[in-house]
Amino acid sequence: AAGMAAPTMAERKACWGARDEFWQCLDSHGDDAAKCEKLRRVFESRCPQQWVKHFDKRRDFLKYKKKLETEGFHPPEAAGKS
Amino acid sequence: WLYLRHQKERQRRSRRLRDLRALALGQGDFELRDTSGTPRRKADFLGRWVLLYFGFTHCPDVCPEELEKLSRAVELLESDPALPPLQPLFVTVDPERDDAAALSRYLRDFHPRLLGLTGSPEQVRAAAAAFRVYVSAGPRDQDGDYVVDHSVLTFLLDPDGVFRDCYGRSRTAEEVARSVRGHMDSYETL
Repeated sequence: AAGMAAPTMAERKACWGARDEFWQCLDSHGDDAAKCEKLRRVFESRCPQQWVKHFDKRRDFLKYKKKLETEGFHPPEAAGKS
Repeated sequence: WLYLRHQKERQRRSRRLRDLRALALGQGDFELRDTSGTPRRKADFLGRWVLLYFGFTHCPDVCPEELEKLSRAVELLESDPALPPLQPLFVTVDPERDDAAALSRYLRDFHPRLLGLTGSPEQVRAAAAAFRVYVSAGPRDQDGDYVVDHSVLTFLLDPDGVFRDCYGRSRTAEEVARSVRGHMDSYETL
């Protein structure tokens, strides 16, 4: 088997906890990442890099989904006439 | 009239079973190895109901959640002594990293009877294909780490090895247990 061992249950929970704290910070600061740098660093230190990427994408998706649910779908303006 | 309704119900179940057989999901045999290194084929599990989940140990969140759910569903069903035996299985979609030792370590945190299966990349690919499970390993980062994108489904097989149902992210453990129980009840009468 290649590379490092998979995170244990305890390590997973520490990662998820750090992620949740970071996300809570973003929620209370209107997604201003600059206000949550410390928690971002903790999140990055507790989770494998691949998981950080995965969770960043997940957050983007959840925000987009929420936007669709609350604002509805607005197709982007066409660049020119079709 | 009750007799006619009963007959109709039997016919409906019969038709559904024919449809499921025609779908032939998971009909192909799989050849894998469990965490003690013992070769395991699908035939080894005949005579028992099976709940089968495909995942990998480096999974960020989905697999632990689904395995917790699977474990809880099995616990709920086990608590009823009238129900037939049920075998939970975990098949890795990441055979490169998930060898017997890795699977053992990972599955320790879930149901004690949850059996881990791995094999060569070809064997794992064949098992996933038999269940039409989508598997796609992502790009490796500088540490060689990667995630594997895959269908998130738990499959129910009956004691004849026939696919009966599948459960996705949205089903709770209680819903899965209730559904399995329903299949077990109707299996006896068919």
